[in-house]
Amino acid sequence: MKLEVIELSKSYGKKEVLKDVNITFEEGKIYGLLGRNGAGKTTFFNCLNRDVFVDEGRFYLDDEFGRNPLQTHDIGYILATPVVPEFLTGREFIQFFIDINKERIKDLKDVDYYFNLVQLKKEDQNILLKDYSHGMKNKIQILIHIIANPKVILLDEPLTSLDIIVQEEMKSLLKKMKKDHIIIFSTHILELAMDLCDELVILSHKKLEIMDKNSISSKKQKDHIIQVLKDDKND
Amino acid sequence: MIKCLYQTIKIDYYYSVNSFLYVLKKLPILRDLFTNDIYQGKWIKNITGVFGVILSLLRAICFKLLYYFVIYAICTKFFPKNVASSFTHIYFFLTILGLFINNKLLNTGKKKYFSLIVFQMDGTKFFRASLLWNIFTNILLNSLVMYIIGYSLLKLSIVSCIFLVLFTISCRIVGEKLNIMFYRKYHYIWYSNTTIYFMIVGLLFGCCFTPFIPFMIPFEIIEIISLFMIIMAIFSLISLFQIDDYFYLYKQIQSHVNMMSSKNEDDYLRQIMVDVKEKDIKIDEKILEQKKGYDLFNTIFFQRHREILMTSAKKYAFVLVALYVCLIYVSIHYSNYHNMIDQVLHYKLAFFIIIMFFINRGSIITRAMFFNCDHAMLQYNFYREPDVMLGLFKKRLVTVFFVNLIPACVVGLGNSILLVLSSNWTILEIVTTFLFILSLSAFFSVHYLVIYYLLQPYNIQMEMKKIGYSIATIVTYVISFSLKDLVLSSFVLSIYGVVLVGIYIALGLWLVYKIAPITFKLN
Repeated sequence: MKLEVIELSKSYGKKEVLKDVNITFEEGKIYGLLGRNGAGKTTFFNCLNRDVFVDEGRFYLDDEFGRNPLQTHDIGYILATPVVPEFLTGREFIQFFIDINKERIKDLKDVDYYFNLVQLKKEDQNILLKDYSHGMKNKIQILIHIIANPKVILLDEPLTSLDIIVQEEMKSLLKKMKKDHIIIFSTHILELAMDLCDELVILSHKKLEIMDKNSISSKKQKDHIIQVLKDDKND
Repeated sequence: MIKCLYQTIKIDYYYSVNSFLYVLKKLPILRDLFTNDIYQGKWIKNITGVFGVILSLLRAICFKLLYYFVIYAICTKFFPKNVASSFTHIYFFLTILGLFINNKLLNTGKKKYFSLIVFQMDGTKFFRASLLWNIFTNILLNSLVMYIIGYSLLKLSIVSCIFLVLFTISCRIVGEKLNIMFYRKYHYIWYSNTTIYFMIVGLLFGCCFTPFIPFMIPFEIIEIISLFMIIMAIFSLISLFQIDDYFYLYKQIQSHVNMMSSKNEDDYLRQIMVDVKEKDIKIDEKILEQKKGYDLFNTIFFQRHREILMTSAKKYAFVLVALYVCLIYVSIHYSNYHNMIDQVLHYKLAFFIIIMFFINRGSIITRAMFFNCDHAMLQYNFYREPDVMLGLFKKRLVTVFFVNLIPACVVGLGNSILLVLSSNWTILEIVTTFLFILSLSAFFSVHYLVIYYLLQPYNIQMEMKKIGYSIATIVTYVISFSLKDLVLSSFVLSIYGVVLVGIYIALGLWLVYKIAPITFKLN
């Protein structure tokens, strides 16, 4: 499975954020999207997810059904801060989600199975999402994407504000999920990207460029990435 | 589609029931009785649910009934000989006004966000289900209320009532279609343009008052326009049912209001309230040239938020102008009302205490201050030093006073004109009446700012949590309300007003200096 981005351009007024972006992402890999604050990482995700009007560009998903335009149900977009209906309990939320999407969920499992997957305790399942901690809300958010099982998963800096334990749980979950998915993980923390991702994608000068992680393990190469990102801001 | 509608209602039902139980769980005695298991209890959920459904049904009927009844009451008061025709005239123009402003399908509410984005419902099915549900509930409510008011009270024929109900529904459908068409073409929702909004609302609202000229649109014309609207509605409905990209349309509207880039859904809702307008970001350098310290800080804040701060005051001023035009008209043409207005202005000026309480924009301004300034600044200790607080408080006081001056001046001028129209007025009375209104405006400006500093009601998540602030507001309301019947001359009242404001400002400054460094913090 491949995700192709062809000639993507996006501007906000006179400010050009992305220009003629051409890139292909492949199944089975976690891509770490690196860029400075305000470089356009979220804009890139918003374009893929069709949350904003795209000036130019086409997106295709090449899978067992052939090469077709990317649809939003192919994408799971995980936000940095989860948005959940706060006056539903965790269990009600997951149950409703399953009821609504029953027809398109492949290999549907029992609700408890899903809660076990993200290690959410029994007593926490029946309290309001309003009373969930940030980490628990994040687990719930990731859980609905595990259930819906979209082909492409976009994660917009989701681990930044989590404690170490939840971070590690999330990382291991993402590593398990990558086998059948294309995962693009945006972050501005180089170490996190190096630790979790298989490939690094650098967003600089309004373009995306894939770098092989194995070739950048040396300090010299890290310095090179930092220099590229620095240049981007100095332009 | 039916399944989608059922699921939406079911989620809505659970959401409301849980919200109610959550409130119950916060109450003093009940919070000890209920644990988190309350959300699992079926019987309590069912009882609360049934109660909630009945309540929301009653609320919907009451609101609709109130809407019709207010028009009916106005017509019986002012046009006793032409109640039915004046009712249909006002109803006609208000319904057309609804066509423009009462659109549901492009609204970006919280519940819609959950249904479409979080629960990932099928956008097309959701759109069609919402459309049909809106039409269904509108037919039901309007028919019921039209039967009570139109058929029973106004003695309109059943055919006329049906025409009016169909006209209302048709306007809704056509309005939705036009709104979507406009958005597709211009990529924004038309009523986000304040100038166009005020022009259309002003024009149509103005048309409602033509029976005073007197001009009333004949019912035959309404019938013809209704027929035309019904035909338009059929075409609009067919066209609306062909929309298959509602999900994308919705997402793009959402992103226009920064939903996706927002930190979380609650922050997003609050951003709407305190969103800095793009045109306000740039500040004229001349304004900042002579400013320093707190003055500069406050000026930048005010300039960056002038649209948020001023729009609300201007809206109130706009409504007040319309109200005073009506009062002046009534005062000239109806002697009994003329006498009543005279009595209030000469002897019951204290009635304006409660009016000025409602008009004051203090709470909106302090909310903007917290969300867009103090929330961040209170994290620094220097910001909480007594001198810093006092310095900024003084500057803010002037700002709040000036914002509130707009509606206060309308009230003051309106009263002055009404006084001039009365039989026995003196220059002194006009001046003191005006002064009294200004002192009330100043009083509430100080008051809102003082209670904001002393009872800072928001927590770090920007939720209003402290009950003390709410209690202080309620107490202010109760006192203001209880003073409405106070009989004192405008001269005495204005002296009291000015003295009271002077004392309150001095007291406020002292309290802010002494107490606010302890109370004005992030909860």
